[in-house]
Amino acid sequence: MGIRTRVAEIYNILAPYIGRLFMEQVKACLPIVLYLLVFLLLVFRGHMSNPWLFIPGIIFVLVGLMFFMEGLRLGLMPFAETIGNTLPKKATLFVLLGFTFLVGIGATLAEPAIGVLKSVGSSVDHTRAPLLYDYLQNHTTTLVIMVAIGVGVATILGVMRFLHQWSLKVLIFPILSGVLILTAIAHWIPDLRSLIGLAWDCGGVTTGPVTVPLVLALGIGVSRARGASDTGMSGFGVVTLASLFPILFVLLSGFYLYFSGSINLEVTKAATGAMSTGIGTMVADAMYYAVRAIIPLMLFLYLVQRFILKEIIPNGQEILAGVVFCLVGMAIFNLGLSFGLVPLGQKVGAAAPNAFAPPAMFYGALWGKVVVLLFAFFLGYGATMAEPALNALGLTVENVTQGAFKKKLLIHSVAFGVGCGIALGVAKMMFDIPLAMLLIPLYVLLIPITWLASEKFVNIGWDSAGVTTGPITVPLVLAMGLGVGTATSALDGFGIISLASVCPIIVVLTLGILVEGKAKK
Amino acid sequence: MAKQTQKYNLITCIVQRGKGDEVWDAAKKAGAGGVTIHFARGKGVREKLGLLGIAISPEKEVLQLVVPDKDADKIFDAIVKAGKLETPGMGFAFLEDVKRAVGFYHEKKKK
Repeated sequence: MGIRTRVAEIYNILAPYIGRLFMEQVKACLPIVLYLLVFLLLVFRGHMSNPWLFIPGIIFVLVGLMFFMEGLRLGLMPFAETIGNTLPKKATLFVLLGFTFLVGIGATLAEPAIGVLKSVGSSVDHTRAPLLYDYLQNHTTTLVIMVAIGVGVATILGVMRFLHQWSLKVLIFPILSGVLILTAIAHWIPDLRSLIGLAWDCGGVTTGPVTVPLVLALGIGVSRARGASDTGMSGFGVVTLASLFPILFVLLSGFYLYFSGSINLEVTKAATGAMSTGIGTMVADAMYYAVRAIIPLMLFLYLVQRFILKEIIPNGQEILAGVVFCLVGMAIFNLGLSFGLVPLGQKVGAAAPNAFAPPAMFYGALWGKVVVLLFAFFLGYGATMAEPALNALGLTVENVTQGAFKKKLLIHSVAFGVGCGIALGVAKMMFDIPLAMLLIPLYVLLIPITWLASEKFVNIGWDSAGVTTGPITVPLVLAMGLGVGTATSALDGFGIISLASVCPIIVVLTLGILVEGKAKK
Repeated sequence: MAKQTQKYNLITCIVQRGKGDEVWDAAKKAGAGGVTIHFARGKGVREKLGLLGIAISPEKEVLQLVVPDKDADKIFDAIVKAGKLETPGMGFAFLEDVKRAVGFYHEKKKK
């Protein structure tokens, strides 16, 4: 028996709801877009090639994210909570780990930012970085699968960590060393050097709005099933692993492709007729891609809850609405990315070098570089401040440290770290510094800092990096990086995200050591 | 004990989480002195709205105001208007008599 509603009443119910959701996205995204526009048009004196496509593009990004996030809340979270609560209790270890692995893969494939890797791949210069170009153009599926498997393995390890209460510190060192060694090898072999940026950026691309809640719910459920008290720290640590393992897998797969001769280094630029497809095809493509990304995960979760847990699905109608929202949202978001966000990032990236490089050199060689670096720093700072996940992390940290580490301190320190990272990434391209020269020393620096910091802060600090890079920042920074890379003499445009991930860890861990040292006195 | 000369009414208002401050502002303008707000969870109406129900948050805020008899209707109407309570699903409000009340002081208007 239902309640019949008149049109005016429906409006009264829906308007505040939709208004609130839309404003959430506007508050998070619009400032960054405006910041970029101002810099593009006024400071770097570039121009937007197709404003009539760009403005709807940005609106699509906002609307798409609005639908997608709400769809996650309605369609994904109920599964996450129920399965997270009951699966650890009811299932055998084997089933639990198998589920964890598949969920890790499924969630990664459903992440909105994964699609961006493919679209930015076409702007890589095939003469400077043939391996990278070939990998991105002809082996895209392999890349995505490698990243997904990496996350799957990381989630298994994360869940086992909760089960046996392993220390995250102990896990980080071997994994990090392995990844750094592989990176060094890739740097040493010139053909493989272009792989480094891509691999490390893939680590930052994962762990988005789909993976994190699922994995957190699982982690909390496992901790609870173990009987461990809720210290508020349950769930931490998996994000870190889910950022490190994909790097490992992408590097390894790149090595394999190279050494097995599957990579065509003499490749010529593929006929990019893709740029001139009609709007209709693009929409159909977007829908197809959205279905392929989301349905497997949702179907899998449904089947697990229905047949393995044998729990009924409450509110089936709402969950279905949630899934539809996710599909629609992701399709619209991807369209918005291609029309609006990615071109914006690329244009800004391409125009920025005009500040310091010939022939334009708007501000002279020195000041031009300063302008660009400051621009990059504040972009990182601002974009991070807008991330909603960071606010949640800050609250948790303040609780867990009994107020010693204030929420504001965490937010600003992470934002500062990301700002530095992005500035460093842009500097890498300005001065043509090989990425390995920046990453390896920074991560090596992180080893003693991690060793000195307490287990609690190791969890917080390393996870904060995964939390910061959201569905808006990642495509923008990737596109911008590639824009700068094409305009300068840099090897490739990847790597900014990886630097934007390592710097906040250093800042937060160092602060953590200081805060805890003060508290002990 | 002094005989209570002032008659008081209790207004209870239930709205979605986040709307409480809006409703309180309207009540204050209409003359209410104070409010106690607590959090609750609702069931029943939201489910009857079908798919429209996703727009209604099950998390609620419960506002309780004790107001003088003569202001009660004015404040109640203001609350209903601010919370759009006439629309199904937006919330509830009800008015009750209070037999005894302590702690509520009616501001002496400067004449």
